[in-house]
Amino acid sequence: MAPGQYSTDPKQHTLSPIVTGATVIGMKYKDGVILAADTLASYGSEARYKDVCRLKKVGEYTLLGGGGELSDFQYLSDQLDEMADEDWLNEDGCFMGPKEYSSYIGRVMYNRRSKFNPLYNQFVVVGKKKDEPAHLMYVDHQGTAFEENFVATGFGMHLGIPLLRNSWRADMSLDEAKALATKCLEVCFYRDCRAYCKIHIGVCNGTSVDISAPIPLNHFWGHGAWTEKRLEDDDPTATW
Amino acid sequence: MVEVEEPQDYLDVFQSQRGGFSFENCKRNAYLAAQANIKPPTAMKSGTTICGIQLKDAVILAADTRATEGPMVADKNCEKLHYISKNVFCAGAGTAADLQHTCEMMESQMELLRMATGTEPRVCTVVRRLSSMLFKYQGYIGCALVLGGVDVTGPHLYQIYPHGSTDKLPFTTMGSGSLAAMAIMEAEYNENLSIEDGKKLVAKAIRAGIFNDLGSGGNVDVCVITKETGGAILRNYEKPNERKFKAQHAAFPKGTTPILKEEIMKLVSVEEDVVMRD
Amino acid sequence: MQAPVEQRWSPYADNGGTCMGVAGEDFVVVAADTRLSQGYSIHTRNCSKVTQLTDKCVIASCGMKSDAITLHKHLKARMVMYEHQHRRQPSVTAIAQMLSTTLYYKRFFPYYTFNVLCGVDDEGKGAVYNYDAIGNMERVPYTTSGSGSALVMSVLDAQIAKSNQTIATPSLDKAGIVELCKDVLSSVGERDIHTGDYAEIFLIDAAGISKTEFDLKLD
Repeated sequence: MAPGQYSTDPKQHTLSPIVTGATVIGMKYKDGVILAADTLASYGSEARYKDVCRLKKVGEYTLLGGGGELSDFQYLSDQLDEMADEDWLNEDGCFMGPKEYSSYIGRVMYNRRSKFNPLYNQFVVVGKKKDEPAHLMYVDHQGTAFEENFVATGFGMHLGIPLLRNSWRADMSLDEAKALATKCLEVCFYRDCRAYCKIHIGVCNGTSVDISAPIPLNHFWGHGAWTEKRLEDDDPTATW
Repeated sequence: MVEVEEPQDYLDVFQSQRGGFSFENCKRNAYLAAQANIKPPTAMKSGTTICGIQLKDAVILAADTRATEGPMVADKNCEKLHYISKNVFCAGAGTAADLQHTCEMMESQMELLRMATGTEPRVCTVVRRLSSMLFKYQGYIGCALVLGGVDVTGPHLYQIYPHGSTDKLPFTTMGSGSLAAMAIMEAEYNENLSIEDGKKLVAKAIRAGIFNDLGSGGNVDVCVITKETGGAILRNYEKPNERKFKAQHAAFPKGTTPILKEEIMKLVSVEEDVVMRD
Repeated sequence: MQAPVEQRWSPYADNGGTCMGVAGEDFVVVAADTRLSQGYSIHTRNCSKVTQLTDKCVIASCGMKSDAITLHKHLKARMVMYEHQHRRQPSVTAIAQMLSTTLYYKRFFPYYTFNVLCGVDDEGKGAVYNYDAIGNMERVPYTTSGSGSALVMSVLDAQIAKSNQTIATPSLDKAGIVELCKDVLSSVGERDIHTGDYAEIFLIDAAGISKTEFDLKLD
């Protein structure tokens, strides 16, 4: 279109996701809070980008994990980076923590849904600011938001949450929490077509926010009833 | 308008007496739905968690006990485990009426087969007959089944979908709580479990469905099938959902309900002598 | 062949739950469960539907959580503004009218919330207000909203209003109404799949607001 011209077509909004991420698992542990997500970005049913990090450090104390539309996740990540920069430029000695960021993200998501132009994501916002208690919040594309001790998005809401509800404890060590998150993502890998066998784990402990290098998942497919040969000609048990 | 065909000859009479489903109102119902916007009644469905595992020499099935109608709980303690023969049982998810009748039909077929052949039915026979029937009805018989049994060839576990597809598996879950139950299965199943541990595993999987899926709830029913003892349903194997609070209401005094109309009918008995005519 | 149906994005969600309010002579009882669900999944078992607005007034909202969050945030801000302007907290009647206006302001893109506003009014009497999603308001002796409201209402009609009863029985006292609310929510938890987990009961009287919690079933 030439400059100065504009389309008379109705304005189009993205109301279905294109490149998507799957599960994010978040949980509090003894000294902070962790977040875990696999490294896959799917294009419809195609496993398109296999080394994507769906965890994002925001400011000094906060970690954002995103499922759903990846471009929207990246857009919000950039916006939050700008916010963090301005927060730093103020030079007032105080920085926004997970409570502030999660509340802000919740309002962004609600306002976008109210404009019928949603960010098509399910976010988990976690963090721990110094000695304050660990914070974990779920926010989705409709603005639904709540705080919890553990949370899972996407398929993980169905496959991961039952394991978390069974095994999560407030006094878990970091290793226990990591093992539980890994187990949830392993189960997702078995049963979710959009899941992958490589994950990132992010840890917030009040002083630092660390996102791990990609970790491969262990997985097992050797159950006897799956691997046994059936309908063999010389099967002694066959009577047909 | 709807045409109801009058039987014309021997073949028509034979057709009308063959048994099976009657489709005579299908056209009428479609017409009503299209013209008068009348919706057909909804059937009771069980948003369900069912599961099964195959062990070295046993099969264990389990189910929750909630039956729902939309967001309402229709039955808090219904039975979803069905007897098919002494050595074959199944757990059902889907339309309650279809499940009940399909299982009863299969039960009678297997009993007739047993008497005709003098052998106990095989699991694969039940699976083939069910899948043939369900496929024929193109998914309109809403039966999603986990079927398990032990026969001369050993323990077998199958899953059957309403359209008639089947799968033979070491462990499986179905129904609205299938993902919650499958999470437990994937995390903890191994084929060398003892029967006691197997019972614990299926119960844990069903509990995951009960507590994480709103379509499932109530108690846990378990069914263990072994070569030696055949199958046995352990009804309400676990009861994790007893009511926690019950207030003591004062009873309504007698006569609380207003009487709007009173009418006493006089009943007389009439006796007549029956006369036989030749 | 039927044309494929496009799955459209919806700005609305139903997060379920049940709340109820019963007015007494000089007190009011509010009860709500704490389950937050969507479809057949439970988001969280412990998420309050009730927000305290003043020393004598609370609001309970069922329906869509994100609209309820927004509405409660807005109302709390208006409470602060009122207090700064008038040097006292708004009365329950004033809040009730403001809530009605606030809801009607979004008449054509409504807050998908079903509110019960409860408090003790300026005359010291228990007040319960019932709303629909777009701001219709009514002061009532008792009300309920949310996914299990149809189940609750029939019991309240019998036990509080004593509808269609020819023999007068003594009306319930404060403890009796609290007990009734617990029993009704427990019963609704048995039959409505979106209601359950835990429940909160707020008792508002001259002494202030007191909150008790109790367990429902988790299935």
